[in-house]
Amino acid sequence: MSASAPSGDSGPGGSDSPSVPIHLRPAHASDLPVLVPLLLRLKRLNEEFDPLLRVREDAEEQAREVLRASLDDPKAILLAAEGIGPDKDKVVGFVHAYLRERPFYTPEVEGVIADIYLLPLYRRHGVGEYLLKEISAQLKSRGAGVVIAEFPAQNEIASRFYAKRGFRAITSRHARSL
Amino acid sequence: MAESAPAPVDAARPPRRRSRANGSGSVAEDQTDELGRRAVELSRFYGGKIETVPKVPVRSLHDFALWYTPGVAEVSRAIHADPDLSFDLTGRWNTIAIVTDGSRVLGLGDMGPEGALPVMEGKALLFRWLGGVDAVPLPIRASTPEEIIETVVRLAPAFGGINLEDIASPKCFGILEALQKRLPIPVWHDDQLGTAAATIAGVINALELTGRSVKEIRTVLLGAGAANIATSRLLLALGHDPHRLTLVDSRGILHAERRDVDELSVRNPWKYRIALQTNGGGRTGDLSAALEGADVLLAASTPDPNTIRAEQVRSMAPGPIVFALANPVPEIWPHVAREAGAAVVATGRSDFPNQVNNSLVFPGVFRGVLDARARSIPDSIVLAAARELARHAADRGLTREHLLPTMQETEVFPHVAAAVAMAAVREGIARRKLSHAEFLAGAITQMGRSRRLVQALQRSHLIPPMPRAAPAARRKSR
Repeated sequence: MSASAPSGDSGPGGSDSPSVPIHLRPAHASDLPVLVPLLLRLKRLNEEFDPLLRVREDAEEQAREVLRASLDDPKAILLAAEGIGPDKDKVVGFVHAYLRERPFYTPEVEGVIADIYLLPLYRRHGVGEYLLKEISAQLKSRGAGVVIAEFPAQNEIASRFYAKRGFRAITSRHARSL
Repeated sequence: MAESAPAPVDAARPPRRRSRANGSGSVAEDQTDELGRRAVELSRFYGGKIETVPKVPVRSLHDFALWYTPGVAEVSRAIHADPDLSFDLTGRWNTIAIVTDGSRVLGLGDMGPEGALPVMEGKALLFRWLGGVDAVPLPIRASTPEEIIETVVRLAPAFGGINLEDIASPKCFGILEALQKRLPIPVWHDDQLGTAAATIAGVINALELTGRSVKEIRTVLLGAGAANIATSRLLLALGHDPHRLTLVDSRGILHAERRDVDELSVRNPWKYRIALQTNGGGRTGDLSAALEGADVLLAASTPDPNTIRAEQVRSMAPGPIVFALANPVPEIWPHVAREAGAAVVATGRSDFPNQVNNSLVFPGVFRGVLDARARSIPDSIVLAAARELARHAADRGLTREHLLPTMQETEVFPHVAAAVAMAAVREGIARRKLSHAEFLAGAITQMGRSRRLVQALQRSHLIPPMPRAAPAARRKSR
């Protein structure tokens, strides 16, 4: 899995009552037709960073399956970001995360942010910051003692976004084709 | 259009016959082949196009005690103490580098640095002849933007300005931005700024002629390469409403939710930014969808006269403005655009009225920034050059056939120079602050001297007369 930071700097932002132009809510099955293309946009962005992240032919069906599975999975969180004002009821982004056991380390449960995506016009204005805070809080309330973001190593925008917010690299995944 | 064969070159050859609407015209092609053969012949005969020539008297070897050691040591010490003195005590004030990596030469693509050298020599000759500027052709063997940036930074102490040339989009944007930030001298990328400034000048006058205001028009830019990205930025700086601006490229209307927009955020942040800023109505689709009701079409895309169709022009607002700037063949033939209702048509070619030509811009711009010893070249200066070009044409009376000065109106160059120098003074980036009259007089003198110099060298046969063209038969036998 690979998440990307909402592209671009989020600015200072980050208040508890955000003035961000979105509204976060749990996703429903009825959101899938909108969430699938958004997830595909994220995967196609990842494709830019490494040939080993080339998107499969059947990625669309896969995206539908993965998201549907997460809707029913108690260890997964899927939040939809809606616009506000004239864009009310329009899903403009989403966060997809899940809990993972850590058998050898403490804290014993980690919250993994697998996918974050926002349509470009809804980036900045502190939206990314807000999404990260919300998902972190929800993961924590479900028992996660650490939050982990996964994204392509070459995605410098994501690296900077998370570094600014106190994230550091703890494990690396190195790959070569066979 | 950035690859426009500069007009002075055009002017030196007989006017091209107008091609028919439905063909590119084999006459023009034959003529281009013939010019190519002749250019190779002459390049061999003259051994290139430029050389360095002293500008101080040398009466005997004794004078070198002044021009060189020991006298020069004091000049060196003075500059060491105050590096800005290099603009007064050396030729730096008038010397620029023409830097390229050869990655996008004319319309030819990647020709490599050596392949770019004759083109850069030609540009240096234009700088000399039109602008009175000492321009050094500097193709460099570098490929990544970082390599190019580092190389230019290291070369900068010798130069009063940098002209980037024929560097591929989108890397040209980042290179220009980084160098403008890092260097204390003006950095210009002609394929972006020169072409954009000439286009803007034409737009200003076309709006005037058709009674429109830039604040109200809806504009479509076809092609999202170096020139149109810069043109859209300058249009916004001119007061154009970003929501009423739409870019169209080979994938259709550029908008914030287009499928490739995330890819652009990584590969071409400049285009990405425009995708987010523009196309307020949220139009999607192809050129036809963009053009409906538009006032202005600025095309810098594919050299094919069927790129823009007559019915697409007909769907624009009444009396639209159409610039079809691809070279050597415009995206729509001017007479076709006219018949479809276009009030004003401009192309990149000298054999049609209203040539949008970057050669109208760069000689005056560099003369101006060099004369003011400017530290940079912000967009306000680019706009000052565009406005001056527009004003100059307007002073002679605007008509649909006379939107811009032609390359024959050489008096426009010192006026652009003076306007640019004054803009540098206003911006607080001029090391040398003179009055408009002084800048104008200085530019006229320097530009005039340059031409007299070349003419004198020709009269004395130090520049030998052009040899006659080799007969075709002999050429073939080679």
